[in-house]
Amino acid sequence: MLFYLLGANVIFAQELAVEGKVKDENGEFLPGVNVVIEGTTQGTVTNFNGYYTLTVPDKDSKLVFSFIGTETVVVPVNNRSTINVTLKQTVQELESVMVVAYGTTTEEAYTGAASVVDSKVIENRPVTSFEKSLQGTTPGLMVSSSSGQPGSGSTIRIRGIGSLSASSAPLFVLDGIPMSGSITDINPNDIESITVLKDAAASSLYGSRAANGVVLITTKQGKAGSTKISFNSQMGVSQRISKGYDLMNSTQFYEHSWMGLYNQALINGESIDDARAYAHANVKETVGYNPFGVDNPLDNNGQLIPGTQILTDTDWRDEIYKNGIIQNHNLSISGGSDLTKVFLSLGYFSDSGITLGSDFKRISNKINVSHKINSFLEAGLNSHLSYSKTNAPPSGSGGANPVRSAEVINAASPVYNEFGEYEWGNKAVFDFNPVGLAELDQYKYDTKRAVVNTYLNVKISPSFNFRTSAGIDNSINNGLNYYNPYHGNGAGVNGRTATSNTDNFGWNISNILTYSKATNNSYFEALIGQEALGQDVSILSAGVTDFSVPGRPELVWGSKPGQPSSATYSWTMASYLSQIKYDLNDKYFFSTSARMDGSSRFGKNNKYGLFYSVGFGWQLTQEDWMPEFKWLDNAKLRVSYGTSGNNNIGNYASLGLYGSGANYGGYPGLTPTQLANEDLSWEKIKSLNVGLELNLFRKLDASIEFYNRNSNGLLFARPLSAGTGFGSIISNLGAMKNTGVETALNYRLIENKNVFSSIGFNISFNTNEILELTTEQIVSGTKLLEEGSSIYQFYMREWAGVNPDNGRPMWYVNADSDDREDNTLPSSAYEDPLGSGRNVTSDYNDAERKRLGTSLPKAFGGLNYSLNYKNFELSMYFFYSLGGQVYNNDYATNMHDGTQPGSNLATDALNAWTPNNRYTDVPRYVKNNMDESNQMSSRFIEDASYLRLKNITIGYNFPSSLYESLKIRNLKAFLSGENLFTLTKYRGYDPEVAINGTTSNTIPGTKVITLGLKVEL
Amino acid sequence: MKKYTITLIRSLFLLFVLAGCGEDFLEQEPTDSISEEKVFDSYITANSALIGVYNQLSSFNFEGLYNPIMSDIMGEDIMINSVDNWNWFVPVYQMNVLPNYSYIDNPWWSGYKLIHDANQIIDNAIFIPDATSDQIDELTGQARVLRAYAMLKLAQMYSVAYSKDPSAPSILLNTDSEITDSGFSRASLTDVYEQIENDLLTAISQLDNNTDKGFFDKRAAQAVLARAYLDMENWQGAADMANSASEGITLMTINELYSGFNTRNSETIYSIAYTQEDNNVYLSIPSFYWPVAGYSSMRANDEFVNKFSNGDARKGFFLKVAEIDPDRNLIVKFAHNNAVGNAERICIRASEMILIEAEAEAELGNYTNSQNLLYRIQSRANPGVIKSTATGQALIDEVLLERRKELFGEGFRWNDIKRRQLPFVRTGDHWVTLSFTAQDPDYYRLTFPIPQSEIDANELLSNADQNVGY
Repeated sequence: MLFYLLGANVIFAQELAVEGKVKDENGEFLPGVNVVIEGTTQGTVTNFNGYYTLTVPDKDSKLVFSFIGTETVVVPVNNRSTINVTLKQTVQELESVMVVAYGTTTEEAYTGAASVVDSKVIENRPVTSFEKSLQGTTPGLMVSSSSGQPGSGSTIRIRGIGSLSASSAPLFVLDGIPMSGSITDINPNDIESITVLKDAAASSLYGSRAANGVVLITTKQGKAGSTKISFNSQMGVSQRISKGYDLMNSTQFYEHSWMGLYNQALINGESIDDARAYAHANVKETVGYNPFGVDNPLDNNGQLIPGTQILTDTDWRDEIYKNGIIQNHNLSISGGSDLTKVFLSLGYFSDSGITLGSDFKRISNKINVSHKINSFLEAGLNSHLSYSKTNAPPSGSGGANPVRSAEVINAASPVYNEFGEYEWGNKAVFDFNPVGLAELDQYKYDTKRAVVNTYLNVKISPSFNFRTSAGIDNSINNGLNYYNPYHGNGAGVNGRTATSNTDNFGWNISNILTYSKATNNSYFEALIGQEALGQDVSILSAGVTDFSVPGRPELVWGSKPGQPSSATYSWTMASYLSQIKYDLNDKYFFSTSARMDGSSRFGKNNKYGLFYSVGFGWQLTQEDWMPEFKWLDNAKLRVSYGTSGNNNIGNYASLGLYGSGANYGGYPGLTPTQLANEDLSWEKIKSLNVGLELNLFRKLDASIEFYNRNSNGLLFARPLSAGTGFGSIISNLGAMKNTGVETALNYRLIENKNVFSSIGFNISFNTNEILELTTEQIVSGTKLLEEGSSIYQFYMREWAGVNPDNGRPMWYVNADSDDREDNTLPSSAYEDPLGSGRNVTSDYNDAERKRLGTSLPKAFGGLNYSLNYKNFELSMYFFYSLGGQVYNNDYATNMHDGTQPGSNLATDALNAWTPNNRYTDVPRYVKNNMDESNQMSSRFIEDASYLRLKNITIGYNFPSSLYESLKIRNLKAFLSGENLFTLTKYRGYDPEVAINGTTSNTIPGTKVITLGLKVEL
Repeated sequence: MKKYTITLIRSLFLLFVLAGCGEDFLEQEPTDSISEEKVFDSYITANSALIGVYNQLSSFNFEGLYNPIMSDIMGEDIMINSVDNWNWFVPVYQMNVLPNYSYIDNPWWSGYKLIHDANQIIDNAIFIPDATSDQIDELTGQARVLRAYAMLKLAQMYSVAYSKDPSAPSILLNTDSEITDSGFSRASLTDVYEQIENDLLTAISQLDNNTDKGFFDKRAAQAVLARAYLDMENWQGAADMANSASEGITLMTINELYSGFNTRNSETIYSIAYTQEDNNVYLSIPSFYWPVAGYSSMRANDEFVNKFSNGDARKGFFLKVAEIDPDRNLIVKFAHNNAVGNAERICIRASEMILIEAEAEAELGNYTNSQNLLYRIQSRANPGVIKSTATGQALIDEVLLERRKELFGEGFRWNDIKRRQLPFVRTGDHWVTLSFTAQDPDYYRLTFPIPQSEIDANELLSNADQNVGY
C-alpha cells in the first residue's frame, strides 16, 4: 500500500527543477548553505559560488534556506525555476554558544564573568602548552612562564592571588573531566575553545575547587557532512629570548681579578709595591687559569701588556645555548553523519631546546566520537592519549645547573684541555663543566597520559534531559637522574642514579538531570546533579650508588642500593549540585547555583561545605524606556555574588599522624609528624562581580568588569611552642583580598568584501592585600608578609650607592623603619655623601629593612590586531605588564664585588669604584670582599615592566584554482614568530620571571620563528 | 588497565551506595603514615613509636652531634677550626650566639619533640590492648628515661646552674601530650629537676637491666639520675646512684681506650646505636674529630694537652701532623668505624659514674673512698700513677681535672664549669681567648638564650623572659 501511494505520488507530481544563488547582505555569495524542501529531508548545499540546483516535487513546494549565523528563510517555489535568496545575518551576533560549567549557554543570557578564547589563538603556535598562548588574550588572566625548558608549565592566576600557602592555581577541566595531571600533555591543536570562568556566577558550581577560577578546555568534535582531512606541518627555529647583559671576557676578568687582589692587599695595610707583587703572584690561582700565552701577562697597573696573545676566551653562554629546532605536525580527520560524528587527530611536537641537555617530544592522539542511538539516546566518548619525553637539567643554584654555569664560569676557563678532553678545574663550579656533564649525566622524564571520558545522554522528554558521564585521567611519570661517577654530583659516591615512578589516577562520575521550558517570552532551566571523584597518586622511588660500568644509568649497574620508598596518597569527594536559570523577555536574566562538597581532605568537624552563587543580567537596550541611541546597539549589565572554596589543602592535613622512617639501631621506628586539626576545612572565598557589556556603532565591543574577591580561612601554619612537640599546626587563619578592574575593547576597523580588520585591547588592574595573619610579620627571603600588604611585598635594605671616598657600599639607615624597635641612629651612620640628605651606613647590619613594593604588576593586558585581505591574513598579539618588580638574583651573582673570586662578572662590574672612578654605583672590587655589598638590598631590584610582541602570524591562502583539481579544499602557508620583540629596561634575559619576582637561573624564554603549511582535503 | 576497570566498577558501585556509606567514602589515610589513634592499638606499633623516640635522641641536632660537640667547645680544652669547616659551630666556640641561630634552635626543638613523643608513650601505653604489664613498664620506663635525659640536657643548656639558684627560671615543663593549643611558661629549676627525679625514680622501679646497651635500662636510669643529683649537689644521692649504675661493670682496658669510642664495650651504660644507612655520616662525631675524612676540624688546646703526664696513655689521643695542621694538636680519640662517620656514640659509661661517685664522696668527706675511685680511673691510663692523698677541695679539684682528662670530647666540660661556677679561662693556642669568673657579667655566655622562635610562638613568653645577657 505504502509503495503504491509513493508510486502514485511520483506519477502524479509535477516535478520542477529549481536553481539559484544565495548571497549575504554584502552581496557575497554564500557557499555551504543548506537548501531543503520543507517537510522532507531532501535537499542540497550551495557550492563555492553560492549556486544550487535541485528538483522539487511540485510547484507549491517550499524551500528552506539555512546557514550558520544567518536567518533561516522559507521561500515558496510558486512555479519559478530560478530563486535567488539573500540571507540576512542574525542581528544577535552575541548569541553564540559558549561552554560553561556543566553545560552550555548563550553569551547573551550568561550572568557570569567568563572569557572565551577560540582555537584561532591557540592553533599553530610553536609552544608546548596552550596556556602560553593565552597570555594577554583574556583580561584578569595572568600567565607567567619562568622557564624556557620546553614542556615546562606556567603559573596561571585568575584575578590575583587567592591563597597564602595553598596553591592558587585554577581548576582545569578537559571536556567535563577535572584534570588530575599536567596540562602540558594536551595538544593545543586539538582545542576548540577555552573558557575562563572568573566570577562566582561562572565558577561556583565547581564548589570547593573554584576559588581560584576554572579553565574549561573543550576539544574539537566531528561535524556532520563530508569528511575533512586536515594536515598541518610547522617547523621552526628557537633562540633565547634576548642576549642579556654582557659578561666579562677573559682579559677583562683577569685584569679585574688582579685589581681585587691588589685592593685586598691594600686594605690589609700592605704597601703599593707589596700589593702589586701579591696580585701578580695570586691572580692565576684566583682566576683558575692563565688565558694568555705568557707567564706574566699584566703590567704594573694590572693591565694586559699590549700585544699579548689571548689563548682562551670562552663564551660559556655560546657553549650552553644553541638554536632549538621546533617541529609540530598534526593530522586531523573530522566528519560523520547526523547520527555519528567523529574527530580524530594525531600530533607530534618536538622542541630540541635552547640549552644543552634540554629537550621535549610529545606524541598525542585524540578521538572524540558521538553517536545517536535513537531518538532519545546519545552516547559518546572523548579520549586523549599522549606520550612525552623530556630531558631537563636542574635549575637553581646547584653546580649541575648549566644555565647558572654559563653565567658564573669565567671566560679564562677552557672547555677542553690540551688533549681535547673536558677540563674540570674552573673556580666557580669546580668539577661541574656543564658541557661535559651534559654528555655524562642524565635527567630523563617521560609521561604517559590517558584522559578518557564517556557519556550517555537521555532525552527523557522535550523538557527533561539526563546525562551521566564517567571519566578517568591517568598519568604515569617515570624519572631517572644519573650522576656520573667521575665528575660533579656523583663523584663523591662513585656515581648515583635516582629513579621514581609516579602513577597518578583520577576518576570522576557525574549524573546531571536538567529540566528546561521555553515559553514565548521566558525560558526556565533547572539542573540537579551528583558527582563523585577521587584521585590516587602512587609513588615508587629507588636509588643506587657506586657504579662500575660508565654510562650505564640503570639501577642494576650500581652496587650500593639506597633506601627505596613507596606510598599512595588518595583523596575523594562526593558532591551534590543544582542550578536554576530564568530569562524573561530576553531582558532579565537570573541564575543561581548551589553545591555541596564533602571531601576526605576536610577535617572531621567540617566534612561538608556549601557553596552558592546568584547572578543577574539586564539587557538595558531591550527596555522600552531606554532611548534608542543610534550608536548604542547593545548594553548589558551583570551583577553576581557567590562563594567558592579552595580544597588544595593537602590530602591529609587534618589528621594526626605518625610517620615512618624514624629508624634506630636497625629497628624500624615511628614518629609523630603532624598534629590533628579536626576543624580544618577548605579556604573560603566570597566574590562580587559587576560587569557592563556594550556594543557601539556596530563596530566596537566593550566590556568593563569590577570585582572584589575576599578569601578567608586561608591555610596557614600557625607557629606553636616547642612544648607541644611541633613547630606549627595547619589552620584556617589567613584572609586576603583581591580587587580589580578589567576592561576589554574590540574594534572592527574594516569589514567589507575584501578586507576585514580588527583591533583589540585589554587591561587588568588587580590589588592584592593580606587582611589577616596569625603572626604580625613574617619575613621570608626577599618578602615580608603582614596585614595590609601584598603577598609578594619586597622587604630588604635600601641601597644608597657607593661612597665616593672609599668605594664602600652604602645603605640608607632608615632608623625610623619598624624593622628594629628603637629609632636611634647606629654609630656607623653618616650623612649621605651623595647628597640625598639622608643617613647612610656602610655597615650592612646597621641598616634597617624597608618595604619596597611588590612583584605583582600594577596593570597587564594585551593588544591584538588582525587583518584579512583577500588571501592574506595577518595577526599580531602583544602582551604588556606594567609596574611589577624583580629581585634579580642572577644579576647579583654576576655583581659579586669579589665575594666569589673565581666567578664571572657582568661587564657592568668594570665600572667598579677606583680612586680614579669615584662616582659610580658599583662598589670597590676586593677579593673575598667583606663589605657585604652584594647582600640582598634594593641594589638588585629592577623594574620588570615590559611590552612584548607575543606572536605575529602571516598567512596566505593559495587560490583554490591552483589545487581544486587535486581534490584539495584549502591550502594555506603561514609564517609565525613568537616573542620576537620585547621592550623593557630589565637587565636579564627575560622580564617574565617567577610570579614572586625572584630569578633562579632558569632557562630563559625563547623566541621562535616557524614556517607552516596547512592542507585540507 | 584492569586496575582502572576495577576502580571504575568499584566507583560506580560506590556511586549507588553513596548515600548509605558516604562517611566511609570520605575517610582516607596515607599509606606511609599511621593515624595517631592506631599507634597504641598494638604493642608492636607502640614499640616502634618508642624506637622513634630513640631516633630523635640520636639525631645530629641533639645527642648525635650538636649537644656533645657544643658541650666541649663551650669550654677550655677543645676548639673548632676557624677555616675549612664550612663555619660549623664557629659562633658557639666564640661563645657569641644570638637567639635566632640554628645552634640554639635545633637542640631546643629536637629536645621538645623528643619529650612530646615520650609523653605520648607515657600517656597512652596503659591503653595498649595486647601489651602485658611488663611490656607496659618497659615502654613507659624507657620513655621516662628518654624524657628525663632530654629535660636534663635542655635544663643544663638553657638555664643557669641549679647550684647557683634553684628558683631561677628554667625550661618549659610539658608532660602532657594532649596540650597543643596553649603556651608554656618557664618552670623553675626546682620543678624541672623534681620532674626529672620523679621520672627516673619511677623508671628505676619499672626497668630491669638489659644487655642491649643501645636502649636505656635500669642502670642507665640510675646513671642519668646520678648526673641530675650532681647538678643538684645532692651528693649522697649522686654517690648512691653512680655506684648502682656502675656496680659490677668491667672498665675498658687501656687498649680499648684506643679502639676509637665507636662501638659499645664492657663499660658502656648507654650508647647511641648508630647505623650509617639512615644517618648523615658527615654530621657525626668522628667526622668532626678524626683528623682525616670528614670535616676534621677539632683541635685540642696545647695547655690542656700539657696537663697529661707523659706516662698517661691518654696523652696518645693527641698528635701533631704538619700536613694536616702545622700548629695545633689533632685528636684521635673518636675514630671512624670502617666507613666515614660510622660510629656509635657512647653517651654514658662507667668511668663517668666512678668519677661522679668520687666527686660526691669527696664532698661527703669520704676521702679514702674518693681517692680509691679516682685511682681506679687514673691507674687504668697510667698504671704507675701514685694514688692521690689529697683531701677536701684539693681532692675535688683533682677529680674535676680527671673528668676533663677522661671525658673530653664526650660532652661534659660546659656543664662542669657551670655547675661548679668555675672561672672560665681560655688561654694558650685558642683562636678565641676569654677569661671571666662567675661574678662577671660575661658569665651569661655559659647559658644559651631561649630561641627567638619559641618566644615568638609561645603566647606565655615574651622577650622579658629571655635569659640575662641576650
